[in-house]
Amino acid sequence: MSSSGTRAPCSLDALGMVNALGRGLEEIWPRLLDGDQSHLSMRDDLVPNRSLLLGAVRGNLPPVPASLRRYACRNNAMTLAALETIEDAVADGIRAAGRDRVGVVMGTSTSGVSDAEEAIRHQHETGKLAPSFFYEQLEFGGAAGFVSALLGLTGPTYTLSTACSSGARALASARSLLDLGICDAVIAGATDTLCGLTTNGFSALQLVSDVVTNPCSRNRNGLTLGEGSALFLVTRGGDGIRLRGVGESSEAHHMSAPDPHGEGAETAMRSALRDAGLEPGAIAYLNLHGTGTPLNDAMECRAIARTFPSPPPCSSTKPLVGHALGAAGALEAGFCWLTLHQRDAEGLSLIPHAWDGQVDPELAPVPLVTKGMRAAVGPVMSNSFGFGGNNCTLILEAPE
Amino acid sequence: MTRAVLQGWSAWATGREDEAAWRSWAEAPEALARDGRPEAGFLPPMLRRRCSALARIMLTVAFECAPPAIRDEVRTVFASRHGNINESIDLLMRLARHQPLSPTRFSHSVHNAQAGLYSIAAENRRPSSSISAQEDTFACGYLEALSHLAREPEQPVLLVVADVPLAETFAAMVEEPTASYGVALMLASRGPGPELDFACGSEDGDASPLAWPDAAEFLRWLLGDEPRLQLGAGRRRWSWTRAH
Repeated sequence: MSSSGTRAPCSLDALGMVNALGRGLEEIWPRLLDGDQSHLSMRDDLVPNRSLLLGAVRGNLPPVPASLRRYACRNNAMTLAALETIEDAVADGIRAAGRDRVGVVMGTSTSGVSDAEEAIRHQHETGKLAPSFFYEQLEFGGAAGFVSALLGLTGPTYTLSTACSSGARALASARSLLDLGICDAVIAGATDTLCGLTTNGFSALQLVSDVVTNPCSRNRNGLTLGEGSALFLVTRGGDGIRLRGVGESSEAHHMSAPDPHGEGAETAMRSALRDAGLEPGAIAYLNLHGTGTPLNDAMECRAIARTFPSPPPCSSTKPLVGHALGAAGALEAGFCWLTLHQRDAEGLSLIPHAWDGQVDPELAPVPLVTKGMRAAVGPVMSNSFGFGGNNCTLILEAPE
Repeated sequence: MTRAVLQGWSAWATGREDEAAWRSWAEAPEALARDGRPEAGFLPPMLRRRCSALARIMLTVAFECAPPAIRDEVRTVFASRHGNINESIDLLMRLARHQPLSPTRFSHSVHNAQAGLYSIAAENRRPSSSISAQEDTFACGYLEALSHLAREPEQPVLLVVADVPLAETFAAMVEEPTASYGVALMLASRGPGPELDFACGSEDGDASPLAWPDAAEFLRWLLGDEPRLQLGAGRRRWSWTRAH
């Protein structure tokens, strides 16, 4: 069912964000536009005998209140850091809707696994789990449960975990909860944090690059992992950036590799266009899933070339912040939100595709954004594709 | 919009493997068996070999609930409080011992692994969500299924809810009825079956803790004739009412 009809548009009223580029939109936006890769950093404490370039959030995160120590993990502290940047808008939203009418939908693929790693290491060394560890820190449901407990909400609260499409999917579900009349506002988004499990797991899958990820290049050889949080206040009838379309698909192909033909990706993009009631030519910018693995970029470009008779300017933002896995879909929807939010009378400033410029002749040609590139104001698209073959494409648009 | 038709169900726990067994359980409910896994003989051997107990349970109830003709057409929602966390804990123990991770085991430890396996086994390319919601996992899974019906009323949604007991390392940290079980519900906007209204609200009155999972309590209500069911032991209450 199309979300258009006679309903008030789904509005993303406020966006709080933290990632390797900084905290809050004022810090993040100029660095995005600059294609600034200087905030990636090396860590050698995660994967044995390997230094990894990562999009880590540096500096201290705000402390989780003592009354919520059961939820006190780095993942939730990251969520708190993002929430703090939109404290006032969230408080207004809760006041307007009422605590029992505000839902929480979070995406994550890690939850507090880095804290569980510490707890288990402690157990390995001493025979007992670290005393600061509680199961709420690790269980996926705790990622949403924390937000709800922090804000004193009693609306529906759950976590979606569909690997790298989790964050995009959280916005799709938030919109549906409004449509069902179950909620009048939803706090939706995603948080993922760097940990031994994902860095070692992706290394074991031979998907991690030793140098900065280089999407769409003939030299691309894997992804750069990252972390971050992006949270939206979602309502119907607000005057924020619109969530105009959602498209989803599964692949029935493989647990950790995409269908090389990109059929699932194409279905997700086409469904999002149909849901939005838009022709492909209307899209002004496309934020790629663009992980920089040989397989992803090949299938994604192929799918774009089939979906768009004339593809829009595209960029991957993963060379700037890394691939934040479960949070990637929310962060990248956030980058699309910012692109629209920062529009001026002449149009949109697009986020450049940071790479070595070495075109891969094997890839279906897709125009990549260069620094300083502008576009007319129009709807923008964000792709997210996850393990298990789980895809979600979002379309955002500026209000009229 | 929170009304849905329940077109069918299936459930599995050790010793309770068909409809008759669940009907007699509903008459005289008791705690479900802690352990066990179904045979899942319908799965190709290559795929079955990769399936954990949780995956076998979820795929078994999913295949039983979804008629072959629509297995590849339904949207799916997989709800599990713990999901594959036992598998993750095992991987974390390997990390603590500085042992390498198996790429296959890592990629099967994601929360949506069962959704991916179903998609492959049933050749289903429809949208699919995997959720987790602490003590409200069943109710929120039901709500997420309704959210898919809101998006596409013409496509039935297969809701699969299952869990296995949490690994010993963490089990003492969670109070819940321990069981290895799965329940699948086929929800649609119309068609044959009881029409159910769903609502959510905050705490009102006592909710006594159950000796079996919420999903099993829902099934008990479905098979009985009480007009209304309320679930929720925490701060939230969820209710289902028979519309007809």
